[in-house]
Amino acid sequence: MPKRKLDPLPSAAFQILLSLADEDLHGYGIMRRVAEQTCGRIRLGPGTLYSSIQSLLEAKHIQEIDQREDGRLGPERRRYYRLTGAGRKLARVEADRLAEILRVARAKRILRGEYV
Amino acid sequence: MSEKIFSWLLRLYPSHFREAYGDEALQLLRDRARDEKAFVARMRLCLDLTGDIAAALLRGYNPPQKAATASAGGNRDGNPEFLLLKTQSPHPKVFFAGAVVSLLVLFGSAMAIRNSALFSGNLPLAGPSGLFGFDETASSTNSSHNNSAVVGGKNLSEGERQQVIREIAEDLRKYYVYPDVGQKMADAVLAREHQGDYNTITDGQTFAALLTDQMRELSRDLHLSVRYSATRLPEESDRPNATELAQYRIDMERFNCTLETVRILPGNIGYVKLNEFPDPPVCQDTVVATMKTIGNADTVILDLRRNGGGNPYMVSLIAGYFFERPAHLNDIYNRSDNSTEEFWTRAVPGNHLADKPLYILTSSYTFSGAEEFCYDMKNLKRATIIGEVTGGGAHMVRPRRLDDHFMFNLPFARPINPVSKTDWEGTGVQPDIVVAPSAALETAEKLAQNKSTRN
Repeated sequence: MPKRKLDPLPSAAFQILLSLADEDLHGYGIMRRVAEQTCGRIRLGPGTLYSSIQSLLEAKHIQEIDQREDGRLGPERRRYYRLTGAGRKLARVEADRLAEILRVARAKRILRGEYV
Repeated sequence: MSEKIFSWLLRLYPSHFREAYGDEALQLLRDRARDEKAFVARMRLCLDLTGDIAAALLRGYNPPQKAATASAGGNRDGNPEFLLLKTQSPHPKVFFAGAVVSLLVLFGSAMAIRNSALFSGNLPLAGPSGLFGFDETASSTNSSHNNSAVVGGKNLSEGERQQVIREIAEDLRKYYVYPDVGQKMADAVLAREHQGDYNTITDGQTFAALLTDQMRELSRDLHLSVRYSATRLPEESDRPNATELAQYRIDMERFNCTLETVRILPGNIGYVKLNEFPDPPVCQDTVVATMKTIGNADTVILDLRRNGGGNPYMVSLIAGYFFERPAHLNDIYNRSDNSTEEFWTRAVPGNHLADKPLYILTSSYTFSGAEEFCYDMKNLKRATIIGEVTGGGAHMVRPRRLDDHFMFNLPFARPINPVSKTDWEGTGVQPDIVVAPSAALETAEKLAQNKSTRN
């Protein structure tokens, strides 16, 4: 399988890193979390999700921690994934890059800041 | 769609993918099928899967390394050859499956267009939460109000529209930072609703955007917004939970409480780059240690060019190093309980920076709490601000959960500076020396060095 490049970081991979920032999740949990954090705009299909996970695992940005049940979903054992220090750093760098774009957009008065 | 069909469709994915993640992919589809039972949600699942298969096929049949190596070997003979996408021909069943999937897409698209045109009287609305952003939970919640919302493939019923408007009007009247403007906006949205202006809107995203525009038109308040989420919003909570607090602490420790750079520059200039005003309970010790590091500097440069705001108590804490006696920095008026909280600096024992020149670097990114620091210092004539006009966000905003899908960002409090009696909302803080952010540090260093030479 040709290795998916993470430079530039694809949107799906970035969303997966963000989804794992708070807690360890299994594949379906990641898909749901990404849908939540993008207000339903991104719903990762199995192909995109697991090929991104594989790329992130190979690059050691995430790690597979264990297989266990998710009590809310049933008795099946599921692979759980965790963000590594390198993955958090990569997400931070990408967020900084986007913040820089945002800064320029604000400077050009294309976007005004919103404080929540 | 049954599990048998899912298993069959999964055969369309490249073999290496099936070997590595076939079981997980099937599990994921099983989970989605269990949670997404409504007609439109099922159609969406079908379309998602089709798109995903197409993307996986494109990725999977790109020339793998082995094929490239083999071709390189062939080229050594000097004979031209074509690169193949895959070394083996696709199995005939792949063509058959492709035809079936194409028919499914065609059928799905036709059904979706037919439904939206029939039941809403409009073509599907553009935007991410239009046809493909429809959320099943929204439809099931609203089905008691208006069945056409479910059947029509849209995500907003008359009942939910009315409820959102009622909640917004009530919040505006009760909490919006300026009571008269809040009343005016509440009256306007209710009047529009009464006239039936919103009757044809069945798309959540469109409804939220329209309400935001209409309220901003009256208030000119860029903080005020209505947001729509296709998925169910988390329950409203006044305080972060234990997990969020633990994560915040971890993040702050990892990023040194956003103190990106602390060093002494030539000319004994203490330089601090701070990217947020973090919460004092977590970061007070780190900030105090930092200020001690630059405690004997002759001049201080505080770099807030990448600072998006933070906690007003941290603003007061850091400001305290630049005053000998307690200084009245700012007041925050909270409309909901008609209270005003005064923010003063506290004296810092053993501090030597109170009489040292202070330069603050800004950019248009500088926002909110960071702007408060600039604005306070400017009004107290305690600093020279160098850089760009800041972003212009002064109001405090509280996110209000209107229902499972609508969030209302409601400005409920505003600063009142004791000197200017106003704030920087919409205008930003004007620097004393306007330069591009990239030139701000150099400008401040030169000024600081000139000043120390004169002294």
